[in-house]
Amino acid sequence: MNVSSLTPSELASRLRNAGIRLQTGSFITHLQTAIPSVAEGIGLLYSDYPLAEQGDFADFHVDLIPPRNLRRWFKPQVLFLSDGSPPFKPLPLDQAFPMFEWGLNWCVSSHANNYLIIHSAVVEKNGYAAILPAPPGSGKSTLCAALVNRGWRLLSDELTLVRVSDGKIIPLPRPVSLKNQSIDIIQRYEPGAIFSRKVSDTMKGTVAHMKPPSDSIFRAAETAQIAWIIFPKYQAGSAARLEPLPQSRAFMRVADNAFNYSLLGTEGFETMVRLIDASLCYDFTYSVLDEAIETFAALKPPTSPT
Amino acid sequence: MKWSLLSDHTVHLHFWDDECVAYNKRSGDTHLLGPMATQIVLKLQQSPSDALTLAESIKLLPTDETNDELPLQIEHMLADLDQLSLISFS
Repeated sequence: MNVSSLTPSELASRLRNAGIRLQTGSFITHLQTAIPSVAEGIGLLYSDYPLAEQGDFADFHVDLIPPRNLRRWFKPQVLFLSDGSPPFKPLPLDQAFPMFEWGLNWCVSSHANNYLIIHSAVVEKNGYAAILPAPPGSGKSTLCAALVNRGWRLLSDELTLVRVSDGKIIPLPRPVSLKNQSIDIIQRYEPGAIFSRKVSDTMKGTVAHMKPPSDSIFRAAETAQIAWIIFPKYQAGSAARLEPLPQSRAFMRVADNAFNYSLLGTEGFETMVRLIDASLCYDFTYSVLDEAIETFAALKPPTSPT
Repeated sequence: MKWSLLSDHTVHLHFWDDECVAYNKRSGDTHLLGPMATQIVLKLQQSPSDALTLAESIKLLPTDETNDELPLQIEHMLADLDQLSLISFS
C-alpha cells in the first residue's frame, strides 16, 4: 500500500490520529501530525512511497505539533518531536513541512550508526554510484536534481549511507531539497518535476522540495557499488572541468563531511579506506547543467580495484 | 635509542601514491602525511631507526635543492610524528 492509496482526507485523518508508518529506503518513520501543510507535503511528494502496517516496527517516531505556549495564537509555531522529545527549537508554522524533512535527516544521521553517513548527494547509473560531497552553496543539490531528471537514479540528495559490513551504498531516496535560485533553475530545467510550495524566510532562505523520480523510489532496496567521489563546485561562467584528486586528499575531505566517522572509530577508518580505494576522485567545476550532465555521462567506472 | 612506529593495533595506515593517511585509535584522530613523512613511516614500518639512518635512505623530493638540511628536516618531522603519537622513541 502506497501513500497514494489514501485520499487527501484519509491521509490527513490518519496523520491526525494513529499516524502513518512511512517507508523511506530501509527506514520506517511513524509520523503523527494535525498540521495541514505537512499532510499536503506528504500527499504530494511521498505519494509513491510504501506505507508499512500500523503495528509494524518503526525506526523513528516523529510528531509535528504546535508548542504549548501563547504562540499557538500569535505567530504560530511548529515543534518537531522525536520519540517525544524536541531536538530543535520551534520554527514558524509555515515551515512545518521543511522541518519534517530536516528533522528526518537528523533522525537518520543521529541514529543509523551501522552506516558511515556522509553529508553528500549520491546518484547511480548502471550499478555505479557517484557521491557528491560538498558544503552548502556549492550547487550539490542543484546538480543532483538535474542528474536525477536526466536518467541517474537518486540514492539520496543529503545523506550517503555506506554500509559498514560491505561498503555498499544504501539508497535513501527522499525529496530533493532546493533553495533560492536553484528552485527556479530546476523548475525551468525540468518543467515536469513536482515541487512542494516555496517556503520563504527559513534559515536557508527560500526552500522547496522536489519529488524524486518514481523509479528511484521503486528501486529503494537496490544497493549500489561506489565508483566516483566528485566534489562539485558551481562557478559562474566556468566550463565544466573534472580534475583528478589524489585519494589521500579525498579521504580527508570525505571524512570532514561525514557525520559519524569519528564515532565509528576503527570501523569508520576501515569503511572510509574501502570507499576511497574503490573510487575515482575528482574536483568538478561547472556552471551549465547540460555540460555537467555530459561530463557525468562520460564517466568511466574504475576498471579494477585502485 | 631508535624511533619506531606504534603497533598496528594503535595506528592504522593506508598508503595512496606517495601519501598516507594515519588513524590513531587512542586519540581518534586521522592525519594526512605528506610524501616525506610517508617515506619515514614506511621505513619505520620495516624496522626501528634513527634520524641519521633515515636521512641516508630517504629519497629527496624534486623540489628539495640540497641534501644538507635533510637530517634536520627529518628530526623535525620525527618530532611532529611523535607529537601526533604515531611513533615513539625508545
